[in-house]
Amino acid sequence: MADEVRTPGTSRRKFIDWMLSRTLTTWILSTSLGGLVLAVVYPTGRYLVPPASGESAATSVTLPFKPDDIPPNSAEIFKFGTRAGLLVRTASGELRAYSAVCTHLGCIVQYRDDIGHIWCACHNGHFDLNGQNIEGPPPTPLETYVVNVRGDQIVVSRRT
Amino acid sequence: MKTEWLNRGVFVAFFVVAAAHMPAPVAAQESPVDYCSSCHSALDERLSAPVTAFATDIHSERGLTCVSCHGGDATAAGLAGMDPAKGFVGKPGAEGTPEFCGRCHSDAQFMRQYNPSIRVDQVAEYVTSVHGRRLAELGDTAVATCTSCHPAHSIRPPTDPLSSVNPLNVAETCGACHANTEYMAEYPIPTDQLERYRRSIHWEMMSVERDLSAPTCNDCHGNHGAAPPGISWVGNVCGQCHSVMTDNFSQSRHAQTFAMLGMPGCATCHQNHDIVRASDEMLGLGEGAVCARCHAAGDTGGEAATAMRSLIDSLGSSFEAADSILGLAEQAGMEVSEAQFELGRANNAAVQARASMHAFSVEAVREDVEEGLGITLEAHQRGQDALAELQFRRAGLAISVTIIVVLIVGLVLRIRQLEHKRRTT
Repeated sequence: MADEVRTPGTSRRKFIDWMLSRTLTTWILSTSLGGLVLAVVYPTGRYLVPPASGESAATSVTLPFKPDDIPPNSAEIFKFGTRAGLLVRTASGELRAYSAVCTHLGCIVQYRDDIGHIWCACHNGHFDLNGQNIEGPPPTPLETYVVNVRGDQIVVSRRT
Repeated sequence: MKTEWLNRGVFVAFFVVAAAHMPAPVAAQESPVDYCSSCHSALDERLSAPVTAFATDIHSERGLTCVSCHGGDATAAGLAGMDPAKGFVGKPGAEGTPEFCGRCHSDAQFMRQYNPSIRVDQVAEYVTSVHGRRLAELGDTAVATCTSCHPAHSIRPPTDPLSSVNPLNVAETCGACHANTEYMAEYPIPTDQLERYRRSIHWEMMSVERDLSAPTCNDCHGNHGAAPPGISWVGNVCGQCHSVMTDNFSQSRHAQTFAMLGMPGCATCHQNHDIVRASDEMLGLGEGAVCARCHAAGDTGGEAATAMRSLIDSLGSSFEAADSILGLAEQAGMEVSEAQFELGRANNAAVQARASMHAFSVEAVREDVEEGLGITLEAHQRGQDALAELQFRRAGLAISVTIIVVLIVGLVLRIRQLEHKRRTT
């Protein structure tokens, strides 16, 4: 490794010779190859090894429909992460959003315009428009979300 | 039957007449001197305890005093204050307690000032209860009266978690007598209700999950009118919450058959006090299946039970397979949230199939299961597609990485070759 090439000549020539010296070339090649290996292998490895999955981290969603699409005393189911949400426009015109997953056995709940509150068809569970379980077997209230209307967009967010 | 109603009529009339002759309830009033408390505080434990306890009693909080219930004159010391001529009625015995409390609690006009929506039918209900009937008809003073559940002088409202009649404490309150084998020795009824209730899903929801809407003793037996539900109306009791199952069951052949055989509806399969969390294993003819108690493989019922179990199991396994493959794809970084969202609807079908089973109709179960299978099979296909896409991407990555590595190696070799060539020239 100590076989440096000593060639007479101008300083420029010396610099070029030094650049081409085996020690330096070996060093550059080995380090850049190492860097390249790290740069390729690490992200590739991370890609190949599955990450630990957790609950859907979605904290906010822009709904695929406009405020005008929902008349009073009606509702729409929407996708919030991997779970279902329910956007209700009350008879008085207010927009409210809830988790649409029944707290009893996880069925998707729906809005009943004839009785003006939320109903689970599976076991006849009832929730009021504050999400409170008021009849039937559901043990706890539905999670409620924050609804913001920005122009034509409806944005639903988890409460912090 | 007529005699029974006559007895009840006489009993109610007894309370009405007794109440009319008792001192009128006295509303809250300021008393300059309270000899009741000052004297009783100085007496022995038995006589002073009511004074100490009354400080936290709801009646005390609402401004009522000793005189409000016991009559007499708190401004007169000693026995002068306890003069029957001054309305003193002292302590009622068990037989007199309902009308003693009923003087106020059955008076809608009087009670309205404390709570406009409070019920005033406690005594009317009590006379229909097993407790009330035994007291009136048999003179059995060991039965529960008002103060057995609402301890005199330390009565708290039912909403107070420290109250003996708060939903969290009702089972213990009833169990104080009903789980006491010595106390209940005279009565031909079991004493294991509390122990069995503690094994139930209802107890778990109430006491572990702290869901105060879960049923405890009084939700099925009534409170002031406490009595065992009749065989023919057990379903009405369970149906207060489990209405879909009750409706399905009432339309089934089992409803008529059970009634004919004197079997207690829902409780025939689910028990009464130790109602455990229902599971698919209860259906069919296998181990733990309740159908097998009456049906066998050869009969129509047994075949129907096996068919329904098979259908529900098929949806369950299909759901798990779809959920599993979507989970794998999600873990691997593929976007499958839409498919997972759609798969959630299959849970509806599975839950509804289990509810439909209570009509004991294979076709009703099949309809729900097929709807669910449509969703799970599509979700499974989407999961398979996502994993195939993942394999394609991995193969593409491996090829591109190989190419890059080969290029680098070639470059290095080329450089070394050039270097070697330069040194040799």
